[in-house]
Amino acid sequence: MQRYLRNLDWILIMAVAALMAIGLILIFSATHGGGYGWMMKRQALFMLAGVILMGVSLTVDYKQLERIAAPLYLFMVLLLLGVMLFGHAQMGAQRWLRLGPLAFQPSEFCKGFMIVCLAAFLNGRSYRLLDFTDYWQPVLFTLVPFLLVMRQPDLGTALVFGAITLSMFLMCGFKMRWLALCGLVGCLSLPAVWHFLKEYQRNRLRVFLNPELDPFGAGYHVIQSKIAIGSGMLLGKGWLQGTQSQLNFLPENHTDFIFAVAGEEFGFLGSLIIIALYLIIIWRGLSIALNAEDDFGTLLAVGITGMFLFHVVVNIGMTAGIMPVTGVPLPFVSYGASSLTINLLLVGLLLNINLQREQLQF
Amino acid sequence: MLNKTYANRLKNMLLVSTGIFVILLARMAYLQIYKGVYYDRQADGNRLRSTRIVAARGLVYDRHGKVLVNNFAGYTLTLQPHRQYTEAMLQTLGEILNVKPEMIKARLKLAADSYEPIKIKSNLNTDEITSIEERRRELNGVAVELEPERRYLFNELAVHVLGYTGEVSEYDITQGKYKGLPQGSIVGKAGLEKTYDNYLRGTDGKRNEEVDASGRVVQQLGSVAPKSGKDLALTLDLGLQQAMEKAVDEQLTALQTSGVAPYAKACAVVALDPRSGAIRAMVSRPGFNPNLFVRGISTKDWQAINQNPFDPMTDKAISGEYPAGSTFKVVTGSAALDLHKVTPDELIFDSGHHWIIPMGNAGGEALGWINFQTAFAASDNVYFYEMGRRVGIENLDAYAAKYGFGRITGIDLPGEAAGLIPSPAAKQKVFGEEWGLGDTFNAAIGQGLTLVTPLQLAQMLSVVAENGVLHQPYLVEKVLNEDGTVLAVPQRAEPKNVGISPETLTLIRKGLLGVTQAGGTAAYFSNLGVPIAGKTGTAENPHGQDHGLFIAYAPADNPKLVVAAVVEQGSYGATAAGPIVYKVLEYMLQEKD
Repeated sequence: MQRYLRNLDWILIMAVAALMAIGLILIFSATHGGGYGWMMKRQALFMLAGVILMGVSLTVDYKQLERIAAPLYLFMVLLLLGVMLFGHAQMGAQRWLRLGPLAFQPSEFCKGFMIVCLAAFLNGRSYRLLDFTDYWQPVLFTLVPFLLVMRQPDLGTALVFGAITLSMFLMCGFKMRWLALCGLVGCLSLPAVWHFLKEYQRNRLRVFLNPELDPFGAGYHVIQSKIAIGSGMLLGKGWLQGTQSQLNFLPENHTDFIFAVAGEEFGFLGSLIIIALYLIIIWRGLSIALNAEDDFGTLLAVGITGMFLFHVVVNIGMTAGIMPVTGVPLPFVSYGASSLTINLLLVGLLLNINLQREQLQF
Repeated sequence: MLNKTYANRLKNMLLVSTGIFVILLARMAYLQIYKGVYYDRQADGNRLRSTRIVAARGLVYDRHGKVLVNNFAGYTLTLQPHRQYTEAMLQTLGEILNVKPEMIKARLKLAADSYEPIKIKSNLNTDEITSIEERRRELNGVAVELEPERRYLFNELAVHVLGYTGEVSEYDITQGKYKGLPQGSIVGKAGLEKTYDNYLRGTDGKRNEEVDASGRVVQQLGSVAPKSGKDLALTLDLGLQQAMEKAVDEQLTALQTSGVAPYAKACAVVALDPRSGAIRAMVSRPGFNPNLFVRGISTKDWQAINQNPFDPMTDKAISGEYPAGSTFKVVTGSAALDLHKVTPDELIFDSGHHWIIPMGNAGGEALGWINFQTAFAASDNVYFYEMGRRVGIENLDAYAAKYGFGRITGIDLPGEAAGLIPSPAAKQKVFGEEWGLGDTFNAAIGQGLTLVTPLQLAQMLSVVAENGVLHQPYLVEKVLNEDGTVLAVPQRAEPKNVGISPETLTLIRKGLLGVTQAGGTAAYFSNLGVPIAGKTGTAENPHGQDHGLFIAYAPADNPKLVVAAVVEQGSYGATAAGPIVYKVLEYMLQEKD
């Protein structure tokens, strides 16, 4: 048991714990007015449940996951189909599924499932992926859930799938010049992609390029978020003192735009600490990938890290006005049980991989 | 093992991640440190709202303390400065308020440098307020504020005296009377509202508030209370004013419907206390309802006023210029008697026309041998032609000037006219013609080029009534503080003796008394029961029917009220203007002073 505890990655755990604590503080600040104080308590409750779930998951060797990968993939596809057919619409997209009293976002869980399934899929095949054209199978494997998510439509999650896939491909030796080629093709096909986007997604992109285009419509979030962050200045206005956050100028301030609350109330110093904590998580994730006992572990760790990185960059970039607005939450901080639960399980997975590690450090 | 083969890739991933995070951090530094102050101000602009608390204008009382003008609570729509409003929002607002979005845009542009809320529309009605409240979410940054609204309690009553208020014009802010006032301020536009605007307006207060995203006030951050304007106590007598308005309207209707004077639609009447110059009542017709202007006059109402050929906006009592007609015989008579060009007993033969130039009486009548008293009471022209000839035009003009003609009286109203006293030099200058005896004849009976205002006529008669002392006519007795104490008494000219001998004035008064007695041109005034001094006048009007004039004071032995009335195109003074004066005096005599 002592060895078990010693082999846990305590730096990762402390970083995640710190972010969750920050999350609770920010969620309280964003919701305490107007009788929404229960939101912080609910989030804390899900944290507790998530941590317990994570602890339980550590008792099972992660390698067992490879065996359930195929049924998991099938389950994921069915789940996404289910959302498409029976989904509960919110904000113009079908993202919620109701299960008794609980409504959850299947796409959040699918991010985790995707990592496991793709890691298992690539695990046996990675040595046969020598040429660019060899990648057609894993691409197809990813494309099915990708398109289903796009149909919801949930551009954010679809892009997360892309980030997971790319990070794992890179671990399989996907050449940098192929990546450059893909980038080029992507750019050229942009007009075609534009055609398939929903009008609100197009508006988001238009407004991303110029938020002043619609300061009270689609550009409102970004403008207000930038004002919130900027007005925090070096040390912030203080907890519960952010005028943008407290007076409702900042919408979605407990979910996707929670980083703006941090920026406003805790200033540049607060932003620095949060970004540093995420960097620690990325560092630990890659370190665990490096030390993993087998390829399945490496692929899992890289996929998880890639996903976290993508979330953090896109979310913070969005609140700071340098990324388009896509509905991607800030891991461990944003309010939301589905996202929190799956993120904690993925951290558990990282810890699990680390328990079997060989000693090797950067 | 992949992690052995691609260990470098993992290291590079960490490097790239670190690089990306440094970029994020740099962005934070840019927003929070480099542009921090800028965004801080933007956040303040979001949450802070400064509202002007409009000071209530001062009240206006009549001489007995009855309220003529007050205020009640109206609602005003304002937009915040330094805030962006979308096209759609302006469209919605325009629809609700029934104004053009371009007009709102123009206002926003005008107020670009201001920190005051921008007033879009005052005195909103219930429908407009409801529509705005219903769409609060959409109409972010739109505020509905309580603001005092001017109310003229008696509508048209004394409108030309009281004037009306309105939003200050762009011209007035930049270079006119109201220079430097904030846009949207309510100022006096006419009448006493304009003359005494400095007292009436008061000082606006200010309220700083913190608001949330939907514009609701979260907390008050301090305020400066508004200071109400000062009140005016007028010389007007509400009862007398009402009686005068009623008399005017009845008389005009009677003249129009009887067929005697179908175009008798304009009229001006002044009543003042000769002992002080205090105006007790003043009417000009046609009039208008000043409350229409308070609410921002509609195009239809404005057209009705603007296209009326009888010019409702003009105060004819102070700026209407008319030939004096026979009322001017007071001046001619004064000059002749005072300069001893005639004795009261000298008899002059009226053969129907003058013996030098065959100019005669209006009706062609010939009264034979007559003295001053008879000639004045019967308003004989031939007699007064002769007086004019004996006095000479220079002396006639000098006496006209003594009575205050040819210059403004200095009443505390804007837009007073000076009238015209014709002189040989002026005729030469304007028409390039020599002054002839005929011109003097015309001047002697107040025709020709002579122009006077009804107020000047009243002033002339009050000099007669006061035995040669001229009191400047005025309307505001006192400026009062809110608690009723006197803040100021408006300055006016000292009473002065105009330099006409008491003997002369006694004879004039006797002549005036004769007018209202048997044999006079307005004998029906004897029905009033007290002796009345009066004079009729019929002024030739080259554009239509003659103007009818009547001036009088009562009681003749102890003058308390002078009345001068002009009915445009009303024909004979005795029948057109006389009945109005009769009713005014009737009201005055039954009232206890």
